[in-house]
Amino acid sequence: MKKRKMEWGLQAFFVGPVFLFFVLILIVPFLLGMYYSLTDWNGIAKTVNWVGLSNFKTLFTDDTGFWQSFIFTTKFTVVGVVLVNIVGFVFAYLLTNALKLRNIMRTVFFMPNVIGGLLLGFIWQFIFIKGFDTIYKLTDWSFFGLAWLGDPTTGFWGIVIVFIWHQAGYLMVIYISSLTNVPKEIVEAAEIDGANRWQMLRSITIPLVMPAVTICLFLAISWSFKIFDINLSLTAGGPYKSTESVAMNIYNEAFQNNRYGLGTAKALLFFVTVAIITLIQVRVTKSKEVEA
Amino acid sequence: MQKRKLVSILLAMVLVLAACGGNSKEGTNGNTQADGSQEKKTVTVFQFKTEIVEGLHELARAFEAEHPNIKIDVQTVGGSGDYEAGLKTKFASGEGPDIFSNGGYSKLLLWQERIEDLSDQPWVKDISPAAADPVTLDGKVYGLPLSMEGFGYIYNKDIFAEVGIDPLPKTYSELESAAKKISDAGITPFANAYYEWWLVGSQGVSVAFNNQPDTNAFIDGLNDGTATIAGNEHFLNWAKLMQLTLDYGNKNPLTTDHNTAVTMFANGEAAMMQQGNWTQNMIDSINPDMNMGILPMPISDDAAVTSKVTVGVPVNLVVNKDSKVKEEAKMFLNWLVTSDMGKEYITKNFKFIPTLSTIEASPEDMGSLASELVDYVNRGEAFPNISGKYPDGVTQEFGSVIQEFLAGRVDAQQWTENMQAAWDKLK
Repeated sequence: MKKRKMEWGLQAFFVGPVFLFFVLILIVPFLLGMYYSLTDWNGIAKTVNWVGLSNFKTLFTDDTGFWQSFIFTTKFTVVGVVLVNIVGFVFAYLLTNALKLRNIMRTVFFMPNVIGGLLLGFIWQFIFIKGFDTIYKLTDWSFFGLAWLGDPTTGFWGIVIVFIWHQAGYLMVIYISSLTNVPKEIVEAAEIDGANRWQMLRSITIPLVMPAVTICLFLAISWSFKIFDINLSLTAGGPYKSTESVAMNIYNEAFQNNRYGLGTAKALLFFVTVAIITLIQVRVTKSKEVEA
Repeated sequence: MQKRKLVSILLAMVLVLAACGGNSKEGTNGNTQADGSQEKKTVTVFQFKTEIVEGLHELARAFEAEHPNIKIDVQTVGGSGDYEAGLKTKFASGEGPDIFSNGGYSKLLLWQERIEDLSDQPWVKDISPAAADPVTLDGKVYGLPLSMEGFGYIYNKDIFAEVGIDPLPKTYSELESAAKKISDAGITPFANAYYEWWLVGSQGVSVAFNNQPDTNAFIDGLNDGTATIAGNEHFLNWAKLMQLTLDYGNKNPLTTDHNTAVTMFANGEAAMMQQGNWTQNMIDSINPDMNMGILPMPISDDAAVTSKVTVGVPVNLVVNKDSKVKEEAKMFLNWLVTSDMGKEYITKNFKFIPTLSTIEASPEDMGSLASELVDYVNRGEAFPNISGKYPDGVTQEFGSVIQEFLAGRVDAQQWTENMQAAWDKLK
């Protein structure tokens, strides 16, 4: 009896403060958001009118912009998640080999992650608009002469490039830690059995780093679905809203169009979607994990 | 048993806490009453004009020196979108600033229940009518307009003289032939920063509204469904003007941002650009010898109607209705526009076009662009900037719809229909 009480006290001592802030910062705003999604609040007025489900009705019947941004974000997520994981894994795979500049390279690849996304976006905006133009004038390669960020396609790929640049380093670190944990004896045994590098990668390394893949996919999916800062600083959704992510569409609805209610309704729908997708992903990749 | 004990302890603690809270509150109240005269009051100012931050801080220090009991805390968040979001957050968290900026017209309507009526202030009678309009609602004045700004096509006088454009273009056809002449001389006529949605969505397209026979009636008509942008003659004309700037403009206009275009113009690579007098300082810093003026944006050949620049008030300082230091806030606003230092900063430091008849600015103070704008206003050749009358969020929608047209994805007719759809969505 006494022991149980002690345990409760300890739990409360360690988890309590975090739980309190979690409730204050996440749960309360979330519940408030649910409430506002059923009102027509404009974000300023002192009175809030209850409108029931009409925001959701507008959302499903009369808001093509939202669905366009949804399609954009989905496309971006598919492309971004695959590429950022491949790049992160390739970096990790190369940098677990005994290279001379290994540690420096690891630092360099991780560096973009330390710089904030907003800043990176502005730096890359300059590179795309000014830098690429200068390279084009020097080399005449048509790749650099494209209207970067000026049409939907280059805008899309511009954001993908910066996203990979920003996040690949972080995933690389996770993959590195997982790769160095692949047991030496299995690798040796495979070598003795005459497996080549490709076979080893496919049949030993990849299955054994599946737990890392689960984490990395989860992170990449939630990052790319919620993309906002790079999007804002790089294209601001332009040209003509073709690169507007869902997060940005929600922000604009709530703060620019002053339709806070509709904005929170979108946010709620968005939350449910992202939660379902990531849950499915974690289930699927978890089932692929093996133990050595 | 155990549970009950815990609950009673918790209750006891709550009670003690509550008692403490009550006590301390009473304590402070007593203090203020006892020596209220020494209490220092803080007036927070929340605004978005990044280029005047330093000057405002200096003004605040000078005001504090004259009024030792008042502290002025100036907070700045640049960019109108971020500013609005920041302001809402502040009000939502109960920390609404005492003085803040408001754009007037529909923004005034939006914030009306938070804003103090300033009609009784001494400076109200001196506001020039054009500047008072955006902050006036039902005959009451709610804000102090700090400056006027205007835009049109800024042009390089030296290039115009060199290729022999005289007289200055006042109609669409004259502008077209001027562009041809400049282009023939091997100079890019227009530097287009169409990457910036606000350049076209907020400012540029307001010209099409102002060319309507009765702009206000047209906007009212749009709101109640009796008027339409789709197929409107003046919007189609405006599209023609945009096409002209594209045909005689820089490469990749949709990836050209504000800074790039201004630099092109300042370096003499382009002869004209759609901009306003706020670029004066930037151009001066790149090319101090620039000899420039400002032209209207003509969309038809009827010079009497179309040959006008557009002027408006970007910042109106308003007072929070629920502020505890309302009187001090009003004192500061009054001091800003009546003290010698305030007047001097508005004209010489900020290079503003003054909005009060009591403040006079010489052309040297304001710069060439502002003084030409003042001339236009005095000749009656200026439109009011009515972009503040669009419904919230429409400027951004307009921006993207116009960019779609500029990219050649839709024709002019389809574009006007998209414009109408954008309005209908948000009205």
